[in-house]
Amino acid sequence: MNSKNNKLARKKRISQNIAFGIFTAISYAIVALLFVILAFIVIKGISVISWEFITAMPSEGMTEGGIFPAIVGTLCLVFASMVFAFPVGVLAAIYMNEYVKDGWIKKIIKQMTNNLAGVPSIVFGLFGMSLFVNQLGFGDSILAGGLTLGLLVLPVVIRTTEESLKAVDATFRQASLGLGASKWQTTSKVVLPIAFPNIITGLILSIGRVSGETAPILFTVAAYFLPKLPSSIFDQAMALPYHLYVIATSGTNIEKSRAMAYGTALILILIVLISNLLANALRKYYGKKVKMN
Amino acid sequence: MASHFEIELEKLKNVIIKIGNLAESQLSEAVKALLSEPMAEKKEVKKTEEKIDKLDVKIDEICQTIFALQQPVASDLRFIMASMQISNEIERIGDLAMSVIKNSKNIKDKHDLIIKFNVSELAKQVEQITVKMNQCFLDRSETTIGEIFVLNNSIKKGTDDTIHNLMNEMKSNSKAVVSGMNLVMVLKHLERISEHCTNIAEHVHFMIKAKIIKHEKFDDRQ
Amino acid sequence: MHKIESRNVDFFYGETQALHDISLSMKENTVTALIGPSGCGKSTYLRLLNRMNDLIDNTRMEGSILIDQKDIYLKNTNVDDLRKNVGMVFQKPNPFPKTIYENVAYGLRVNGIEDKKIIEERVVTSIEQVALWDEVKDKLKKSAFELSGGQQQRLCIARALAIQPSVLLMDEPTSALDPISTSKIEELIHELKNQYTIVIVTHNMQQAARVSDNTAFFYMGKLIEYDKTKTIFTKPAIKQTEDYITGRFG
Repeated sequence: MNSKNNKLARKKRISQNIAFGIFTAISYAIVALLFVILAFIVIKGISVISWEFITAMPSEGMTEGGIFPAIVGTLCLVFASMVFAFPVGVLAAIYMNEYVKDGWIKKIIKQMTNNLAGVPSIVFGLFGMSLFVNQLGFGDSILAGGLTLGLLVLPVVIRTTEESLKAVDATFRQASLGLGASKWQTTSKVVLPIAFPNIITGLILSIGRVSGETAPILFTVAAYFLPKLPSSIFDQAMALPYHLYVIATSGTNIEKSRAMAYGTALILILIVLISNLLANALRKYYGKKVKMN
Repeated sequence: MASHFEIELEKLKNVIIKIGNLAESQLSEAVKALLSEPMAEKKEVKKTEEKIDKLDVKIDEICQTIFALQQPVASDLRFIMASMQISNEIERIGDLAMSVIKNSKNIKDKHDLIIKFNVSELAKQVEQITVKMNQCFLDRSETTIGEIFVLNNSIKKGTDDTIHNLMNEMKSNSKAVVSGMNLVMVLKHLERISEHCTNIAEHVHFMIKAKIIKHEKFDDRQ
Repeated sequence: MHKIESRNVDFFYGETQALHDISLSMKENTVTALIGPSGCGKSTYLRLLNRMNDLIDNTRMEGSILIDQKDIYLKNTNVDDLRKNVGMVFQKPNPFPKTIYENVAYGLRVNGIEDKKIIEERVVTSIEQVALWDEVKDKLKKSAFELSGGQQQRLCIARALAIQPSVLLMDEPTSALDPISTSKIEELIHELKNQYTIVIVTHNMQQAARVSDNTAFFYMGKLIEYDKTKTIFTKPAIKQTEDYITGRFG
């Protein structure tokens, strides 16, 4: 009996050790890979990073000068897409989570949003081009690109907001309604403030996503080479991911602009990184304010 | 702010004090009936007896309710356990006082017998122990409890001696047998009353010290 | 005259019947405890009294519930008014992410009271009513989350009292609290009984015994026995009740 137990225990221990070993190896490998990529880009790109690189216009067929208009263009696009996607997404999520009764309508809307999230980004680009650029006559513009990017992240915003609202304990709603508050008072004064930190986090994470997308802006806004800043939302603009694509594949002198491509990539990664850090900081700050017990 | 539960306990305490006082007055009626020739007002006595019985039932009910609804623990638990027992003992004291009154009626030439055997001294002691019984429930003092034990011993000895003397009297004077027997019974009742008071003192001791001392020898109690 | 009266109430979650023919009446200024094993329907019944079950989709209620002789399930019932009259306290303390002061003022503000004097007066009275004033008077502007669990729960009771209900529903109000906080809440229930009609759901039979005047024992969606608490806990009429309160259930 005893020896049988010992055998079993040993068997269990071995299989556990094997499983743990595999998991540990995989996770370290992933982290290592991430560092390798980062290091690779930093090493290759750091040499071109300078104040001038960030603030100057590109020149000499994009083999000289900086990427300033691309940075500004990306920021404009991010801003435009958020102005569209944030209110629409949050309101849609509130409607879905707080107002629609369980039933087939809710199921359909949910399925649709999930499907939307799975659509390839190039399809969004084509859709944006036909609707915003041609049909509505915005032309290749920040407006058209921003709206297209907004559509792209809409499902993300809706889903993160919905998750945040769902995380709010039902008794908060019941307590508020129990005091004679209306549904909207309950949502705006109790539920949203509690869910806010998580919603903000979702928003900022989608900023990271928007700033890196190339396909949707390809046909809607991005300029191949435009050494000036956009002056209105109806202007074309350069954008970091597209600029990177251009100087890496079809520039005037690909060999010469190789280092600049890595520099651009580094800046893009930094923007995403900063927005993620910001998301964490904000969540911590608001999380403290409305700490759930 | 006294808690709801404390108010409930206070209520119980007041009922115990009430029933204790009734027993005390009942006993002094009995002593009166024993010592003086004219009978005490019988109706009054009967009424008090009924009151005592009613309160005894009421105390049981209160205690049952507290046990069922309040889950008393520690000193509260002991207080309620003691209360139930005390109320029992007091009810017995009331009954015995009634018996004293009944037997007293059948003692002829009471005066002579009482003086001859110094019964009034004994009766006074029993009255005293009843007063002390009520006092010890109130002040919860160990000194009072000790006094009760001492008094009980002396009452026991007193009744034993007196009964012994009475027996001798009855042996020599057969006319005195009926009255003598009744007086013996009265003395036995008084002794029982003293014993019940002592039990109450033991319950109070349990209440304050959480130590059960019944069935212990008196010397050990000290 | 009954404050709350339910007649032959049935309740369904979808196809599942959660309550069977519940008839139960409560007098004004009494505490009624609803006891029974988990899933017996006691919480469901409690939530019918302020129509909180309306919030759950696919539910259906039959029979009638009267509060102050008025059927609260009529079509023209104003649910907001009903809920103002029937306050509720929940299992876990759930103060809003606001200051202590604003938590209590919330009910007043959402009901359109703007007069600062009235609001302040009611806030202070309500906090005093739950014996919390001395503990919080110096930090009214601080977040309610800074209070201990027991204090938070009393704050939630104050929040419910601020809009001056006449009925108070409590859904296991002490199940998340330590014994000291629990006894404070229980003492509070005794105090509040003088002004409110209280219905309390509790898993803790001893608590039901301590705080309530009447006790209703629910089992499998049915009302098994309803009587004075003293009677239920000393001589219950029905065997199932006896088995439950003595812990010989099953």
